[in-house]
Amino acid sequence: MYLQLALRNLSRTRVRSALAVIGIIIGVTAITSIGIFGENLKKTVMESFGDIANEVIVLPNSQEGFSFIDERTVELIRKSPYPAAVIPVKADSFEMTYKNQKRFVTVYGLDERGVNELFDVAEGTSDLKPGKTIVGSQIAESLDLRIGSRITVDGKVYRVSGILEEQGARFDIRPDNAIIISERDHKADIFAVIVKLENLGDIEGFKSYVQATINIKDKKVEILEMKSILDRIEEAFGQINLFLMAIAGVSLLVAGVSILNIMLMSTIERTKEIGIMRAIGAQKPDILKIFLMEAGILGISGSTVGSILSIAGGYFVTKLIIGEVSEILSMETVLFAVEGFVFGVGTAVISGLYPAWRAANLEPIEALRYE
Amino acid sequence: MKTVVFENVSKIYRTRYYQVSALKDINLEIRRGEFIAIMGPSGSGKSTMLNLIGCLDRPTEGEIYIKGTPISGLRDDELTDLRRNTIGFVFQQFNLIPTLSALENIELPMIFRGTDSGERRKRARKLLEIVGLEDVADRKPVEMSGGQQQRVAIARALANSPEILLCDEPTGNLDSKTGEQVMEILAGLRDEGVTVVLVTHDESLRRYAERVVRLRDGRIVDVSAVSS
Ligand SMILES: Nc1ncnc2c1ncn2[C@@H]1O[C@H](COP(=O)(O)OP(=O)(O)OP(=O)(O)O)[C@@H](O)[C@H]1O
Ligand SMILES: [Mg+2]
Repeated sequence: MYLQLALRNLSRTRVRSALAVIGIIIGVTAITSIGIFGENLKKTVMESFGDIANEVIVLPNSQEGFSFIDERTVELIRKSPYPAAVIPVKADSFEMTYKNQKRFVTVYGLDERGVNELFDVAEGTSDLKPGKTIVGSQIAESLDLRIGSRITVDGKVYRVSGILEEQGARFDIRPDNAIIISERDHKADIFAVIVKLENLGDIEGFKSYVQATINIKDKKVEILEMKSILDRIEEAFGQINLFLMAIAGVSLLVAGVSILNIMLMSTIERTKEIGIMRAIGAQKPDILKIFLMEAGILGISGSTVGSILSIAGGYFVTKLIIGEVSEILSMETVLFAVEGFVFGVGTAVISGLYPAWRAANLEPIEALRYE
Repeated sequence: MKTVVFENVSKIYRTRYYQVSALKDINLEIRRGEFIAIMGPSGSGKSTMLNLIGCLDRPTEGEIYIKGTPISGLRDDELTDLRRNTIGFVFQQFNLIPTLSALENIELPMIFRGTDSGERRKRARKLLEIVGLEDVADRKPVEMSGGQQQRVAIARALANSPEILLCDEPTGNLDSKTGEQVMEILAGLRDEGVTVVLVTHDESLRRYAERVVRLRDGRIVDVSAVSS
């Protein structure tokens, strides 16, 4: 019955109510679709990092004067109780020549297993016997390198056995503009050991193992965790998203103000009615309930339409900017829609609170006398 | 038993610029089941008195007892309970809720009381029958004549079986014939034991009352029994 009363009061000022609902729809759609877009953007970026979350990079602690990682340390890492691929990496830069073209390139020293763990080969094989080289995609393109091409690096001749696929974003090794030779051909020291743990949960354990075995006397090595870097990136995305949503939230705020406004008008117009109801026995909470219900109805109807629209809106914005959407109704999308709904209804009810409170606290006799 | 007692009641309206003594030192006892008329010129304090009985307003001085309870000590919610359960109002301007049908208007006080919907419907229909309006049950106030609206308003006032019915010029906006119909309904209620307090200008309505209280400038100038 209260619901009916509220509904009828709203339909009495149909245009006004519709405008308020439109305000809520816009607000909810704005924050929710931006939220969904941001989430999709984050997902796309995180996916481009591939599965490096389980990587830990052991680096020499330069602050303590260590500039490379010795064999013994590599041995200790290999002996860790946590199942992992251990990939020592050597690096240096050299002049390289191919058909009279000269370049300075980064030269990595790896073994075959390391290449297979870290990269995908686009052409040729991952053969890294001494005298062979695998080249990055960009350098292959700019120098027009083929399988079997002979290149000279630091006075020695290597034959190209493979060309890598273009690699996504990485933090440790950037092979696109580099070449890879066998670590046995590479005279430099090991500058990093990449440890790909089989289980994500072993990261902490591995770290304490390193502290307990390698860093006992001197702090010889530092550990860079891909996971914590990725976590931080993800967090940053989350914050940016929140910020964008807050900006979109301004439109919801405006919708809230418009509800506040129409509800206030409504309480003033209905002062006499409120007086009548109080005279025939309505308690303050009854009046409060009627007005809050009106605000709630505006909020619920606007938010329902808004969150449905924003699922579509989020999809289109994502499609427009990122180009592809993995799924329309993912867990996160629905979560954002629900969040938008809750915010919409919350805004409406909070905006209705003051007018409803005012209506409930009118002096019955004064309200009754109002014309 | 005294249903309503005024004990040295004064009411002063204070505004920023002036103050009005609407009632001055009123003493009055209204018996249970009595039909009492309050008469007097415009501005003499009739409505003020009725609003005080109806717990819509509080006296500036003195005390009012409703069924023995002094109302000055009651909180807003207790006054509301008293209005809802013990008092019925009939106003000159009918004061129906425009969005509700006749039947729903009658149901409203029962909704505020928490009566369940089946019982509510039944009682509302019965009350419509009592005021002779079964066939306008679903009409909105704007679709009814003044006399019909006032009868619906009376039915609404009776919804929670009040012991006191307060009527402020109930016939003021009606022609004499419909006014008479309304008065007949009120007279019938008196016969059922409801205390009726009627505020009116209309001398011809004296005959319905057992006693007439005359006000002038906020004072009772005469209380007389009506011989019928
Ligand atoms: N809310 C108010 N504020 C200030 N003065 C008021 C207020 N209500 C009533 N008065 C004054 O109190 C006095 C009594 O008013 P009241 O309404 O009781 O008169 P009444 O006898 O009902 O008159 P009428 O027959 O015209 O309805 C009048 O002088 C009126 O101006
Ligand atoms: Mg009056």
